[in-house]
Amino acid sequence: MKILRRLALRIGQAVPVILVVAVLSFFIMHLLPGDPAAVIAGPEAGAEAVERIRRQLGLDRSIPEQLAVWLFHLAQGDFGRSIILNQPVLTALSERLPVTLSLTLVSFAITIPIGILLGVAAAKCRHTWIDSAVMFLALIGVSIPGFWIAILSVLLFSVNLGWLPASGYVPLAEGVWPWFLALIQPAAMLALFQIGFLARMARSATLDVLDQDYIRTARAKGVSEWQTIAKHAFRNTLIPVVTATGIILSLLVGGSVVIEQVFALPGVGRLIVQAILTRDYPMVQGTLLALAFIFVGINLLVDIIYTWVDPRVRYG
Amino acid sequence: MINPKRAALLTGTACIAAGLALASTPAQAQKRGGNLIYANVSAVGTMDPHVAAAVVDLESIHHVYEGLVEMGEDYSATPMLASKIDISPDGRVFTFTLRKGVKFSNGKEMTAADVIASFERYKRVSPNAPALGDVASMETPDPYTFVIKLNKPNSLFVEVMKTPTYSFSIIPAELKDKPARELDIVATGPYQVGEWQRDSHLLLRRFEGYSQDTAAAGPNGYAGKKTAYLDSVRYNSVPEANTRVAALQSGGADFIGALPGDVAKRLKGRTDLQVLSVIPFCQATFITHAKNPPMSTNRSLRQAIAALVDTEEMMEAAGQVWEANPSLMFKPSYYHSNVGEPWYNLHSVDKAKALLKQGGYAGEKIVLETNNNYAYMRDSSQVLVEQMKKAGINVELKMVDWTTNVGDLSKGTGGWNMTITGLCSGPLLGPQQWRLSLAFAQNPDDPVVTEGYAKIFATTDPAERKKIWMGIEKYFTEEGYMMKVADIADLRGMNNKFAGIKPYYMQRFWDVWVK
Repeated sequence: MKILRRLALRIGQAVPVILVVAVLSFFIMHLLPGDPAAVIAGPEAGAEAVERIRRQLGLDRSIPEQLAVWLFHLAQGDFGRSIILNQPVLTALSERLPVTLSLTLVSFAITIPIGILLGVAAAKCRHTWIDSAVMFLALIGVSIPGFWIAILSVLLFSVNLGWLPASGYVPLAEGVWPWFLALIQPAAMLALFQIGFLARMARSATLDVLDQDYIRTARAKGVSEWQTIAKHAFRNTLIPVVTATGIILSLLVGGSVVIEQVFALPGVGRLIVQAILTRDYPMVQGTLLALAFIFVGINLLVDIIYTWVDPRVRYG
Repeated sequence: MINPKRAALLTGTACIAAGLALASTPAQAQKRGGNLIYANVSAVGTMDPHVAAAVVDLESIHHVYEGLVEMGEDYSATPMLASKIDISPDGRVFTFTLRKGVKFSNGKEMTAADVIASFERYKRVSPNAPALGDVASMETPDPYTFVIKLNKPNSLFVEVMKTPTYSFSIIPAELKDKPARELDIVATGPYQVGEWQRDSHLLLRRFEGYSQDTAAAGPNGYAGKKTAYLDSVRYNSVPEANTRVAALQSGGADFIGALPGDVAKRLKGRTDLQVLSVIPFCQATFITHAKNPPMSTNRSLRQAIAALVDTEEMMEAAGQVWEANPSLMFKPSYYHSNVGEPWYNLHSVDKAKALLKQGGYAGEKIVLETNNNYAYMRDSSQVLVEQMKKAGINVELKMVDWTTNVGDLSKGTGGWNMTITGLCSGPLLGPQQWRLSLAFAQNPDDPVVTEGYAKIFATTDPAERKKIWMGIEKYFTEEGYMMKVADIADLRGMNNKFAGIKPYYMQRFWDVWVK
């Protein structure tokens, strides 16, 4: 019951967060210079044609009026209609969400085991060449710009070796292998930064635990070193690692914006970039709102996992 | 002259000037089948021909839709769905005889009822609706005849109708009430839409029921006898230029658009691939705001800035393939002339200083708005700003994104005194196409323009028409409202396994087949 109450409280706390995101995204977009009507009319259209389109789209109304109309529709579950794509925002999102979720999940699946393994190995082999090598790789991972390493990767794996497609997405329905081939390169590039982040976090958490008395006791009792780490240390490193994992999942969704652009993946990241560039107000507002829901969902998930890995959270 | 350094990029590849005589394709067996993947910088946004203006949209639209007239290979107005066009001697009545047996992709035969419905919808939804502002009446005396009567003579009315932008495409009559951008895709072209995910990809499939214009000898620009050999053409959106090239190199794309000059170098040495250069494609031109002082009120100041333009330095900075041309019209155009020569590419700081002194310039701030999306616009602006500073002009470079820039340009907002843009269809298609772009100077009611155009439309003598256009062009360049920089190229990449591909203003994939 305590858990349920805690979750209900978190959901309740999320409502004002979502509302703030909605209002902020509306004002940020409307504060930007540029006019979607001019984009629709095209570069050769005159002021009169642009004005006519503004009227058709309701952009000639005052900003508070536009906000009120948008919030009114939002309260009824209507995210609005994309000005540029000319389709409901939710339809556009539902078409692109599988791409971003696929990319994020494959990337997550790469990040978590590799990041934790590298971090734990570095901690276990503290002050050895393995530790230095892992930390050096982690530093490179978090320092190199994603779009640059992604382009280099395309040149190597797609152009020179011809192993992987350079761009595009294949839906899962067309086969697991083609889907995986299309995603593995962008997912790996997206994972690079996060692996570095997680490895550093896991190393630090493991080092903290390895200095604890109960680890020393285990060692004194003659428990093997790997068993000590696997059985006694690892579980206790999980709380900070789970926290980092939640952050990583959010960062992967955010990082997909750049990676989807480079690899021409038709996901939510590319959708929002295009929407911003063309000042597609309802699309940007709707997408930001959907992302806010996703981030709130991830945080709830992390809360649930806490209760599993740490009984103190469950019973405290 | 094509800049030799940039042209050297294309060594070992084909560099062909569009709009000039095109090399004929060697006799090869045309065969049906195969698919082509075209990767371009952005996705197809709308398939509504009456409102579409972006080249990416128009390229696919013209594979699906057709109009009564279209651009021919030499960009002149050429009948497509009309078999004959009669113009009354007074230039007021246009009678279009329609081709019989032309089928829409829904199987219905196209008649004059569809044509009149298309024009009615155009008047209602198109940003170019003012082009039909002088229409007095439209009639359909029989199912294969469509008559337009004008209030006043317009000898260029058929030329107006060839525009690929805001195309006068014919749609079935039952779709005439569809709002802008919500049109069901039913048309008469050689391809039809198979699958379309907005902002990702569009798949066109061959329309098996396509009614060829058998009276024509072969394909002719966007008109003529078109044959769809390819089973499908897929338009993919690949925004990153490096990825587009990688896709071409690795077989993920067969044709790519918007190829930056430095990235095109990577195709060098690949005998299976080639670079196509379409030049002239657009012209880089600075535009003065005719209503924002001090430039609007100080002719000498405008001329001083015009005297600073250094074509070679600007184009070199942008890494652009370019061609010097003082005219607001491309060289192959009938309307091309040298009236802009006295104010073209002067790159003279001394002349500018003298003009500033003459105009009593007292250090008022000039705002030059540009964007960072197009390298040639950004870099040309940066070069001009440095030149302006050398001449003692107080200038502020305002860098915005393309969306802001194009909005400010069309509406005159943003507080700019001058800006830069790429003008593409006007210089290619003639004065009637230029009319919208001239309004960019924010002075559409300028009597030189309004009276000039009234005379252009009224005269039936082409030589007289050219003379009037030259007067307008002279006015815009001499007054410093338009400062021409250069004609620039559009580079594209293709896989040589396809035959029949010719560079053209907007790419066509009918009469293209796999070797």
